[in-house]
Amino acid sequence: MRRFLHRLAPLLGSFPLLLAAPVAHAHSASDAYLTLSVDGTDEFTLHGQWDIALRDLDFAVSLDDDGDGVLTWGEVKRHQAAIDRYAYEQLSFKDGTGASCAVQPTRHLIDAHADGAYAALFFDVHCAHRSNTLAMHYTLFFPIDPSHRGIFVMHSVAGTSSAVLSPQNASLALALK
Amino acid sequence: MIRVNLLRTAAMGLLLWAGAAPARGAALPAPYRAPYIPASDDERLQEVASASDPKVVEMRSLRAKLDVAPRDLDAAIRLANSYIDYGRQIGDAHYAGYAEAVIAPWTALPAPPAIATLTQATILGYRHQFDAARGLLQATLLLEPRSAQAWLTLATLDMVQGRYEAARKDCAHVMNTAGLEFGGACLGNLLSYTGQARQSLELLSQNEFSGRRASAAYQAWIEGLIAEAAERLADWPLAEEHYRCALQLLPHDNFLLVAYADFLLDRGRPGEVPPLLADHSQSDTAFLRLALAKAALHSPDASRYAWMMAARFEALRQRGGDFFGREEARFALQLQHDPETSLVLARQNWEFQRAPWDARVLLEAALAAHQPQAAAAAVAFVEQTRLEDPVVQSLARQVKNR
Repeated sequence: MRRFLHRLAPLLGSFPLLLAAPVAHAHSASDAYLTLSVDGTDEFTLHGQWDIALRDLDFAVSLDDDGDGVLTWGEVKRHQAAIDRYAYEQLSFKDGTGASCAVQPTRHLIDAHADGAYAALFFDVHCAHRSNTLAMHYTLFFPIDPSHRGIFVMHSVAGTSSAVLSPQNASLALALK
Repeated sequence: MIRVNLLRTAAMGLLLWAGAAPARGAALPAPYRAPYIPASDDERLQEVASASDPKVVEMRSLRAKLDVAPRDLDAAIRLANSYIDYGRQIGDAHYAGYAEAVIAPWTALPAPPAIATLTQATILGYRHQFDAARGLLQATLLLEPRSAQAWLTLATLDMVQGRYEAARKDCAHVMNTAGLEFGGACLGNLLSYTGQARQSLELLSQNEFSGRRASAAYQAWIEGLIAEAAERLADWPLAEEHYRCALQLLPHDNFLLVAYADFLLDRGRPGEVPPLLADHSQSDTAFLRLALAKAALHSPDASRYAWMMAARFEALRQRGGDFFGREEARFALQLQHDPETSLVLARQNWEFQRAPWDARVLLEAALAAHQPQAAAAAVAFVEQTRLEDPVVQSLARQVKNR
């Protein structure tokens, strides 16, 4: 045996062989759920709910303070500012003139999905200029996980539309009317 | 019975499930609760990788090394491999995405280094993008014809797709480049698919003996392969002995846990599955076995598990891309009692995946849907390859006799 291992080393270079098969396994990769609704009375204001998996946030901004492998509500609350900072940097809106719109966080809740608990970030979007379309740019997690997808749904008087946001499809034009 | 399409509307509202994710051993939540503020700071919301897990410590240390030398390809590959390995072990696809990001600066180059292409191939294979993975492996081998990892990964890919002649050549290359241990295991695995399970068992047992001083991962790999070969021979006690051996070496390995859970379900021992997989419900493959066991046990929460599984498949569908037909066909047939849907999924799955379980789901769906001719390809495959799997053989006979 030792002889074989000895032989193996130079042949394999410095990397150990990955053994397990790439066999048939369904997995949940990273998804976030972003819903925007046009305000019922002021059609130039948007209300948003953004559900982001706590385990994804833990990887990005380290939430598990005591390192016990379980995130509690206390730990999530303590990191709320860091979560907001991280997330809202990856989501931006511009009005028809190209001016950036303000994204105002409103509430922080927890939402449960089939694959785990998500931070539910509620926010409003206010733009300085009235326009019929907004440009949205979404890059959440893409630099650390290009397989992340944003499942996007928009409700307006025109109806409901949806899209899957990915590194290849990170910008959308949203019709407000 | 709850059908996946009913969940579509629910998924749009994003209020899939109420209560937090099931923490260790906790009861599953009731469906459809609005987003909420937990009652207390101590409320457990989500399990994550524990900082005390040696694999996590290793990943963090490799990450720190790459952070100080972001152009160090060697450091990047080590970190990417560590992510891939961990993700595979716990059945969590997030880590394949993290690995992809780590090697992205190199795979984006006009002429990526072979090792980066190889790692990318491994990630794509893991995601079942087999054709793309094969293309990258061939590209790797053009640059580095003696890459043992490339040959081994290609061999596994060819075996999963039922391309046994190609796999035989790949294994010969593994033998030439990595030596007897890996080459013998590769060939031993292959023989279990081609009517030579007895020889497979003998060859793998030699590796088991000679590999006693190798890593736990290597030993567990061999033990798992032996268990599989024993299943082909309907030697259930031997299969069980080796599954348990493998799990002693790697107690949290998703692949082994799921294979052993399938073994238990097949042997009519569903009661042993929930305790086995209690801590692994995050993995979709493990969750499917939990749901199957709950159904077999007529457990009061069986329908909730089935519903949750449907929601997970729905989430996969929403994000688009990867297709996990084997699991979904099984889910449709056994938990949704929908043989037609199961058959559609199983036929689609058969187009690119041809392991014994893929033949099995196709044969089972065709029988249940009363469309035996729909599984003709699987019957021909079983005859041609002389696959010894007793369950698959019996199903193939039933299909032929219809």
